[in-house]
Amino acid sequence: MIQIQNLKKSFRTEEVETLALNKVNMKIAEGEFAAIMGPSGCGKSTLLNIIGMLDNPTEGTYQFAGHEVGGLKERQRTELRKGNLGFVFQSFNLIDELTVFENVELPLIYLKMKKSERREKVMKVLERMKIAHRERHFPHQLSGGQQQRVAIARAVVTNPKLILADEPTGNLDSKNGIEVMNLLTELNQEGTTIVMVTHSDRDSHYAHRIINLFDGQIVTESHNRALGAMA
Amino acid sequence: MFKNYFKIALRTILKNKGLFSINIIGLSIGIAACLIIMLYVADELSYDRFNKNADEIVRVVFNAKVNGEDISEAVVMAPVAQVFQQELPEVLAATRLRNGGTLKVTYNNITFRNTRFAYVDPNFFEVFTLPIVDGNQVSALTEPNTIVLTREVARKYFGSENPIGKVLYIEEQDQNYSVTGIIDKIPQNSHFHFDMLASMAGDSEAKKSSWMESRFFTYLLLKKGYNIKAIEEKLPAITEKYMGPQIKEAMGISFTQFTQSNKVGLFLQPLGDIHLKSDFSDSSTLEPGGNINTVYIFGAIALFMLLIACINFMNLSTAAATTRMKEVGIRKVLGSKKKQLISQFLTESFIATVMATIFGTVLVILLLPAFNRLSGKELQMVYLLTPKVILGLSFLILTVSLLAGGYPAFYLSSFKPIAVLKNKITGSKNRKGIRSGLVVFQFMVSAGLIMATLVVDQQMTFIQNKDLGFNKEQLLVLREAYILGNDEEAFKNQILEDPRVALVSHSGFVPVGPSNNSMSAVFIDDNSPRRMTVYDIDEEYIPTMGMKLLKGRNFSKDYGTDSLKVIINETTAKILGLGDDPIDKTIIMAMDNQGGRQNLTVIGLIKDFHFRSLHQTIEPLIMLYHPNGGLIIKAKSTDMAALIESISTIWNTYDVAEPFDYSLLNQSYERTYLVEQKMGVILRIFALLTIFVACLGLFGLVTFTAAQRKKEIGVRKVLGASVERITQMLAKDFLKLVAMAMLIAFPISYYLMHKWLQEFAYRITIEWWVFALAALITILIAFATISYRSIKAALMNPIESLRTE
Repeated sequence: MIQIQNLKKSFRTEEVETLALNKVNMKIAEGEFAAIMGPSGCGKSTLLNIIGMLDNPTEGTYQFAGHEVGGLKERQRTELRKGNLGFVFQSFNLIDELTVFENVELPLIYLKMKKSERREKVMKVLERMKIAHRERHFPHQLSGGQQQRVAIARAVVTNPKLILADEPTGNLDSKNGIEVMNLLTELNQEGTTIVMVTHSDRDSHYAHRIINLFDGQIVTESHNRALGAMA
Repeated sequence: MFKNYFKIALRTILKNKGLFSINIIGLSIGIAACLIIMLYVADELSYDRFNKNADEIVRVVFNAKVNGEDISEAVVMAPVAQVFQQELPEVLAATRLRNGGTLKVTYNNITFRNTRFAYVDPNFFEVFTLPIVDGNQVSALTEPNTIVLTREVARKYFGSENPIGKVLYIEEQDQNYSVTGIIDKIPQNSHFHFDMLASMAGDSEAKKSSWMESRFFTYLLLKKGYNIKAIEEKLPAITEKYMGPQIKEAMGISFTQFTQSNKVGLFLQPLGDIHLKSDFSDSSTLEPGGNINTVYIFGAIALFMLLIACINFMNLSTAAATTRMKEVGIRKVLGSKKKQLISQFLTESFIATVMATIFGTVLVILLLPAFNRLSGKELQMVYLLTPKVILGLSFLILTVSLLAGGYPAFYLSSFKPIAVLKNKITGSKNRKGIRSGLVVFQFMVSAGLIMATLVVDQQMTFIQNKDLGFNKEQLLVLREAYILGNDEEAFKNQILEDPRVALVSHSGFVPVGPSNNSMSAVFIDDNSPRRMTVYDIDEEYIPTMGMKLLKGRNFSKDYGTDSLKVIINETTAKILGLGDDPIDKTIIMAMDNQGGRQNLTVIGLIKDFHFRSLHQTIEPLIMLYHPNGGLIIKAKSTDMAALIESISTIWNTYDVAEPFDYSLLNQSYERTYLVEQKMGVILRIFALLTIFVACLGLFGLVTFTAAQRKKEIGVRKVLGASVERITQMLAKDFLKLVAMAMLIAFPISYYLMHKWLQEFAYRITIEWWVFALAALITILIAFATISYRSIKAALMNPIESLRTE
C-alpha cells in the first residue's frame, strides 16, 4: 500500500537547514499495523505527516496504492486524503465549537454525502465507539478517553484504507490507553491499515512491525512475532 | 518597573512591525482627520465671538408673508433701532448698518475699485469691538460725510501718509468723505467685512420714518442676563403701534385687518447665530454664511473617525494578543500581578498613541493648506499652539491610550496562566460579541458615509444638468459695458462683427452671479401688491439667453410702443390668476412709493427659468423693454479665451479708465453651489478615510479570528475541507456583520440625507438603487479586505497548527 524510497525532508529557515528525514526507505503492506518509534525530534511526526499527505517530501518518491503522491499539489492531496485516510492525534484535535456528532460528521460533509446517510453512518460509528449517548455534548464536556474515542470515530467514519495515529494514547491514562489500542487493533483486524507513531513500548506491542527512527533515518526494524503470527 | 515596561513595549512593537504599522497608520489618520475637522468646527463656531459683548448683541430680523410672498430678511426698517431703544428698557444701545455695495474710490486722481462700503451709526463701535486705532472712538462718525477706514485700505490709498483728515471721492455717490478714523482689519471670523464705514449722519435713507421698507441691519446691545423670549413677546405690540398707521394710510385697512390674511413680525437673532443659522433673502445677506448642519455633520465625522481608529487599535491589539498569551502566562506564573500587566499594556498603547499623535500632527501640517483651499478657510496650525489646545491634545492622547489600550490590556491580563500555558484559551462568546459590535459600528459609519456621498454626488450632478430654463454655456457677461456710455452701441456692433459671436443683448440682468437687481410691486387686486423681480431687457435677450417663449411674441424694435408691454413668466401668470393664455391681459405695476400706477399689457409668456439658486423655488418675474446696463454675448465658438482676448482688445481702443472686466455665466453658476460642492468633496475624502481606517480594523479582526481558529482550520483541512470552503467560512461571519451594519446605517443615512435635500427647492429623490449601490460598494470593500487574510489562513499548512504539542 505504501512504498517510500530515498525519502528526504529538510526544513529551511533563514539561517539553517535541518534534515528531518534522510534517505528513508520503507514499505507498508495493506492490512499491516506498523509502529514508528524513536526519541523526540527523530522525524517520526514528519514521516507520518508525509505518509498522511499533509506534507510533501523534499526528495525521493512516495507511492500510495500504486500512485506517486510525493509531488502532488495541495488540492490534489486534499482530494486523495478524503475518504482514504483517517487521522488520530495525541491532542485529539476536536473542534471545540462543534458537538460530538458534528465533529464526526465533518469528513462526511466534505465528501458531500447526503444528510440522512451521514446521520446513519455517524450514529453507527458512535455506537461502535460506545459514545453515542454523548452525541450532543461538546468536546470539553468529555473525558480524555471519550474525546479520543470521538477522534477515532471521526477517523474511521469514512471507512478509510489507512489510519494514521500520532501518539494516540499520549494524553490518556493507562486504562483509557488500553481501550484505545484495543479499538485500533479491532479496526486493523477488520482490514484497515494502521501507521502509528508512539513513544510507548506497551503500545508498540500491538503493532506487527516496529520501525525505529533515529536522526531521520531508519535504524532498525523488528517484527512482533506473537501478533505477527496472529495476522 | 517603567523602564521594563518601556523596553518590552518597544521590543513588542519591533516584533509586530506589520500590525503595529497598521495600528499607527489608522490612529494617525484618525487623529489628523479629527484635528483638521476640530479646527474647522472651532473656526465656524468662533464667528463674531471676538466682540467683547458677543453674548449681549442681537440682530433684529423681519419675517412676513404678504400676499402670498414669504419674506425673510435680515434687514429692517430705518426707525426700528431708535424705537426699540425708546420702548425696550433691556436695550442699552441700538446701532444700524446699511450695505453700500462695492464702490469706486478716488484719491489724488487714482481710482480704487471694489471698495466694500457701508454706512453705520456713530455708536457702531460701542456695540462692536472694532477699536479705532487712530482717530476718535466716540466722535469719529458723528459728522456727515466722515469715514472710518481699515488700516489695510488706508495704507493702500495713502501709503505712509497720515490718513486722518484726508478726503476721498466716491464716484457713484458723487460725494467727498473725510477720513476721521482707522480701525484694524475686521477679523476673518466676522459676519461682515467692509473696507470703509461711512457716517450714517449723511444718509438720507437713515432719517426716513417709513415702516414699509427694510434696508437696515439693526443690532441691539442688551443688558446682561436678558431673556430673548420675553423681549420678543413685546415686539408685536410695538410693530402694530408704529406700522399700523402707515398700513392704514397706504392700503386703507387697519393693522388687524391686514394681519388677518398676512403676517408680519420682528424677531431677535443672537449674534452668535448669524454665521451658521441664517436663512434670509440673498439681498439681505451681507456675506454667505456657514451652515450649522455642515458643522454637525463634520463634528460627527471627526468623532466617528477617532472612535473608529480607537476601535481598530483595540481589535488589532487583541489580535496581536493571541501571539502574546504565552508571555502573559509566564509573567503571571512568575508573579506578575494583573495590575502590572495592565500597566504594561497601557504603556504600549500610550507609546503608540503618542507616536500616532506626532504623525497625525505632521499630517495636519502637511494637509492643512490643501484643506484650506478646499474649504475656503484660513485655518492655521498656530491655532493648535495655544495652551488650551496643547492641554486638549494631551487629554486626547490619554483618552485614546485608555480607550484604545484599555480593552486589550484588561483582556490580555485576564488570561488564566495555566490555561494560557496549556494552550487552552479560546475566545469566549462574550468577547466575540463585543468585537462583532465594534465591527458593526465601524461599518455602520462607513456604509452610512458611502450612501451620503452618493446622494450628495447625485444632487450635484442633478444641479449641473438641471434644465434651468436658459442655456448657461458660452455666455460672456460684460456688466461694466455701460461705462462706455454713448459708445456702448458702437462697441456692441463691433463685437457683432466677430464671426464667433452669435448674439449680443443689452441688459445688466443675469440669472446667476452678480446681476442688476430690481423689484416692483404688481397688484394682484386693488389692495394687494406683490413684490416681483423685474428684468430690463432688449429684443435680443430671450434668444441670447436661450429662454423659451411659450406664448405671444418677443419685444421688437418694429413696434413703437413696446415700452408699455411686458413679458411675464409662468409663475407670475399663476399668481396674478391670468389663466393659461395671459396674452393681451393687463397688469398693474406700482411706479413709485407715492401710489403711482402703470398699466402694462402682457405680450409674451416665458417658460419659468431659475433666476435664483436651486435652494429657492421660482418666484414671479416680469420683463420690461428697457435696454440698459451691460452686454451679454452669446458665442458660437467654444474657445471663449480667444474671444475674450479679442473683445478685450476692442475695449482698449475706447477711451475708458476702467480695465476690461467680464464673467462667464457657467462659471458663475458653478460658484453658486461652491459650498455644496466643497462639502461634497470634503465628505468624499472623509468617507474614504473612514472606510480605509475601518477596513484596517476589519483586516485586523480577520487576522485575529484566523489566528484564533487556526487549529479548527487545520483540523478541517486534514479532514478534507478545500481552500474555498475555509475562505467562505471565515468571510461569511464578517459579511453577516457588515450586512447588519448596513441595515442600521441606511435608515439613519436616508433620514439625514433626506433632511439635507430639503435645503434644495429642486432636488433628487433617493431611489432604491442608491441603497443597492452603497451596499454593493460596502460589501465589495469589506470582502476585498477579508479575503486576503481568509485565503491566507486557508492556504496555511495544517500541520503547523496541529503540531503545537
